[in-house]
Amino acid sequence: MPEGERTEPEAQEDSADTDDESGSDSSEPESRGAIFSNYGIASAVLGVLSVAAVVLGVIIWTAHRDDVGERAYLTRVMQTAAEWTAVLINMNSGNIDASLQRLHDGTVGELNADFDAAVLPYRQVVAKLQSQSAGRIEAVAIETVRRDLDSRPGVGRPPRDVVTTKLPPFASRTDSVMLVATSVSENAGAKPQTVHWNLRLDVANVDGKLMISHLESIR
Amino acid sequence: MRNLWRLLAFDIVAPLAAIGALVMIGVVLGWPLWWVSACSVLVLLIVQGAGVNFWLLRRDSVSVGTDDDAPGLRLAVVFLCAAALSAAVLTGYTHWTTPDREFKTDSREVVQVATGMAEAMASFTPSDPASSIDRAAAMMVPEQAGAFKEQYKKSSAEMAQHNVTAQAATLAAGVEALGPSAASVAVILRVTQNSPGQPPSQAAPALRVALIKRGSDWLVSDVVPVNSR
Repeated sequence: MPEGERTEPEAQEDSADTDDESGSDSSEPESRGAIFSNYGIASAVLGVLSVAAVVLGVIIWTAHRDDVGERAYLTRVMQTAAEWTAVLINMNSGNIDASLQRLHDGTVGELNADFDAAVLPYRQVVAKLQSQSAGRIEAVAIETVRRDLDSRPGVGRPPRDVVTTKLPPFASRTDSVMLVATSVSENAGAKPQTVHWNLRLDVANVDGKLMISHLESIR
Repeated sequence: MRNLWRLLAFDIVAPLAAIGALVMIGVVLGWPLWWVSACSVLVLLIVQGAGVNFWLLRRDSVSVGTDDDAPGLRLAVVFLCAAALSAAVLTGYTHWTTPDREFKTDSREVVQVATGMAEAMASFTPSDPASSIDRAAAMMVPEQAGAFKEQYKKSSAEMAQHNVTAQAATLAAGVEALGPSAASVAVILRVTQNSPGQPPSQAAPALRVALIKRGSDWLVSDVVPVNSR
């Protein structure tokens, strides 16, 4: 081929080459005519393009993997919160001790330490319901908007002793989940009593295990 | 040395990169049947080409990468490799990166719209009864806005009569579900009602706001209380 690469005689010793994918040294103008044919230059350009494509592909792939992992993690967080809450709202006077034990096992940090104090209001609700009650979770969502209206003066409600949401030991991250649930007590003879729950749970990741680190009622 | 480089780049790396790119397209697309067949044909062609190339290398001691008389062929190999890689990157960008970005912006936007809507429809000022309803109706899909206004007027007539002021603020909100064109957001409000001669009452209703995407905007299609029982 007359228009073929005329590189062979001169370039024997040269390892930095036209066709190397790293695009090499096409910046030396005096040697270009001798060493690089048009084909070589085009190959080098396409080679650079390929390398750039590979780099971009890796970036796209890792970013997507992170996003998918994040969504899967948040789904797990919501599931953990929902399962925990399901035990909480289905507590009856009959199964209260077993339920509390299960709830306690699912907690970590300050909530775990102060568990009895934290669940006291809920225990009172259960005691009030007395009868067989069935709870249902109506809505679960990762809380993305949160406004502490009580910190504003003049709203009236005294600030509740909110447990500080600092990261419990060994937890790598926490996410807030909001839950809306209803329990209905089916008392024979009496009017069914309905309790609405608006709960906020903090779910902490402790060595890959998801635990509840904070519980409060949204009011 | 030079020939070794060319052998590596053109005879080994380039076909492998092309096969990798074809497989990545398949992964991105989720292996639909048409791509499974197209990809197998293309990979088979590449493998065949590489096989013939190495057979010729053994016979003639010269391959596509090292043949100085066939620069055009070399260019074609690099071109195909670059084309496959670019196609893989473009597919990844349109099927992964763009939807991921949209998901993030959408999840921010729907919560914003939903909280604005919930606050507007739960608020009421007797002196200016139309202000918040107009604000809420502007966020709704047009075909629902009329019916919603009627309903709101009915329920607010009584409040207006008793001169009740309702002030709603969002306590918490989060996305329950989000798809490309529909979303559901849970909003917990604090509604403070003030009526003359009575102490202010406070309630924390939970609302589920359903939204749909029209063009690039999210509009509210429905608002229902979460506690339906």
